[in-house]
Amino acid sequence: MKEKSIIKFENFSFRYDSSNEFILKDISLEINKNELVILAGPTGCGKSTLLRSIIGLIPHMHSGEYKGRVIVDQLVVNDVKITDLAKKAGFVFQNPENQIFMFSIERDIAFGLENLATNKTVMRERVDSILSLLEIEHLATKAPHELSDGEKQRAALAGILAMQPKILILDEPTSLLDPKTAINFINIVNDLRKKIGMTVVIVEHRLDLVLEIADKLIILSNGKIIENDSPKQVIHHSKQLIPEIGIPVISRLYRNLAKSNYNFDNAIVTVKEMVKEIRGKRTQ
Amino acid sequence: MIEFKDVNYIHSNGIPALKEINLSIKPKTINALVGSNGTGKTTLARHINGLLKPTSGNVLVFGKNTKKISVASLSKRIGMVFQNSNHQLFADTVKNEILFGLNNFETDSQIIKTRFEWALNFFDLKKYENTSPLKLSGGEKKRLCIASVLAWNPEVLILDEPTVGQDQVQKGKMLEFISNLNKQGKTIIIISHDLEFLWSLKPNVIVMTKGKIRKTGKIADIFSDDELLNQTCLMRPQLLDLWMKLNIKREPPADITKAADIIRRISGS
Amino acid sequence: MYWISKGFIFTKVDSLVHKLDPRVKLLISIQFFILALLVSDLIDLAIIFTGIILFANISKIFSKLIRTMLFAVLFSGIILGINIIAGYSFIYSLQIALRFVAIVCSTSIFFLITSPDELEYVLRWFRIPNDLVFAFVTAVRFVPIILMDALQIIDAQKSRGLELEKGNPITRIKNFVPILVPLIVNEVIRSGELAEAMEARCYGVVKKPTVLYELKLNFNDKLAIPFCTSIFILGFFLSI
Repeated sequence: MKEKSIIKFENFSFRYDSSNEFILKDISLEINKNELVILAGPTGCGKSTLLRSIIGLIPHMHSGEYKGRVIVDQLVVNDVKITDLAKKAGFVFQNPENQIFMFSIERDIAFGLENLATNKTVMRERVDSILSLLEIEHLATKAPHELSDGEKQRAALAGILAMQPKILILDEPTSLLDPKTAINFINIVNDLRKKIGMTVVIVEHRLDLVLEIADKLIILSNGKIIENDSPKQVIHHSKQLIPEIGIPVISRLYRNLAKSNYNFDNAIVTVKEMVKEIRGKRTQ
Repeated sequence: MIEFKDVNYIHSNGIPALKEINLSIKPKTINALVGSNGTGKTTLARHINGLLKPTSGNVLVFGKNTKKISVASLSKRIGMVFQNSNHQLFADTVKNEILFGLNNFETDSQIIKTRFEWALNFFDLKKYENTSPLKLSGGEKKRLCIASVLAWNPEVLILDEPTVGQDQVQKGKMLEFISNLNKQGKTIIIISHDLEFLWSLKPNVIVMTKGKIRKTGKIADIFSDDELLNQTCLMRPQLLDLWMKLNIKREPPADITKAADIIRRISGS
Repeated sequence: MYWISKGFIFTKVDSLVHKLDPRVKLLISIQFFILALLVSDLIDLAIIFTGIILFANISKIFSKLIRTMLFAVLFSGIILGINIIAGYSFIYSLQIALRFVAIVCSTSIFFLITSPDELEYVLRWFRIPNDLVFAFVTAVRFVPIILMDALQIIDAQKSRGLELEKGNPITRIKNFVPILVPLIVNEVIRSGELAEAMEARCYGVVKKPTVLYELKLNFNDKLAIPFCTSIFILGFFLSI
């Protein structure tokens, strides 16, 4: 039977050496192939720690007390090296500046491939295809300081995609971007995921940008998973959405209306959906 | 109170960052500076407290030309909180962090004591009084930065991206305290991409593109301007977007419950 | 300081020289360097300086080279003074001082016409271990960023009333604490993030990484090498 899940957390707990408390407590979670998953929660709840546990930065780079198991594409994270996991799971960090190492963008895109002793012809092909896929051909020979923030973000993404990971992890990718550039970036990620088939895990505060395209919304609070379902189910069912989560204003409006028996076919995560529902009601 | 007259600013590498800026910021107002990254927002803000001086034109603050005053004397009345808290925090304790700016601008030890206590308590930092700033979380660091600037009671407060990295609850608190500060008579200038946050504050908005001021006005007017929204990085806050798509003429209320009431009414249920 | 540093930092310029293979650029710079070391009399020095100025014009880096020259001239004034005090003749001291300027210029030329990328290729070509090359690349890439951080921090602290120009020497030194502490903290955080990013890109998996580009001498390079070398040899024999 083909395994559906590609990332599995089995009773996973972690405590940093520098702390007395466990930041993640008994996490059990399955993420399936080609899903786009949003990880949300208050600041300090363990989201970044959870992401880093997928690629092995925890425990191999940040040591601490490690309980349970994390399995990524059939590799047990604790038993393998970070670089073994990095071949399967690409991690795009929050600040693109600290991920671009080379002086020309196309060289930086090739950086990961160079580190794996990839053949030159293969590298050239991959770099060219990524440049065109992300529509950044015009940036190929530019230096990082010549790029805008949005362009740097795409360049950082390109460097990871060149390694053809099965899983793409993004840690607050839009925090430094303006709204339109942020949406553009998220859409690029989503289109790519569908085109080349990737599992995507995103930590994001700005839920209004991502709920529409996500398959799952996982809410973490105080080190525990309190919600793990499709965004619409979470918006609809969640008894008490914790106030720290930035649920889109339109979804808050939905919940308020739904409470008073305003009939909706589905939970609402975008303005377009709300307009459709209300117009439908008016014509009745 | 703050006036830009034909201000141009060219970086040392020859790239023009500000072009023909004419702007007037009135006292006791809340103002938002918006635009994509690289359009000159931070450069403009730095002209207000004198960190940068115009290449041509003049910036007048409290009636005086910034070219003739030091940054220190301008900063006494204009507090600036930078985007990255790690660029400001250096002291061994939260207490000394707050006292740093205070001691630079105040000499009366009684005033210093009073202001210090106020800042510590108003920003919920009493329990961290003797902790190292480095041990605080991101949100707490930001609070500490704002506390250490407000400690010396400047009349004007400039905040550069105050909501980045903050969760919804922290943003709510920030909204409240900015409103309160404004009610106490302070002038606020916020640089931000967070449109929902700005919408709640109802500021005067200054939209910048490519070093120029594209438009200024009340936030409702700015967001009703379709052409402006198409040509800049701005997007409508969700409630306003909904209201406009439903052709509701009045502005949406700030309160979700009231908005829901209106929706119920117009849907006839 | 910033003004002087412009004399050693590469900028993209459209000139034939910039398009040469970096090994050829290194060769030319070394040739200038050696000639500058060898010459003794003022006439030869004048010829060298003419050569340097001509070359700088062809490479369109003259305005930047001027800064280096001025900096070196200031410094060489000290050398001149010391030599005269030590009892050497004026002419001899002048020769030493001008040689110094020529040597500094030849070094500056290399860094002005060679991008950090190309520097890396040259280091690899010399078979320097990968870790050292990468450390060098990272330093060149991030030093300007660190400088920008420092400027930001200075601005932030100035906005809190820090006045760097005032006070006695002890106060001035104390005033650097609010700048150094955040700077060090920031850069420690940055290096942590860089380390994570390096792991995420599989750095260190193989001992000898491959490289996207390969250095290949093209037609202009093959012309430039004998041309410059013959001028060098001529100059070499003339100076002896």
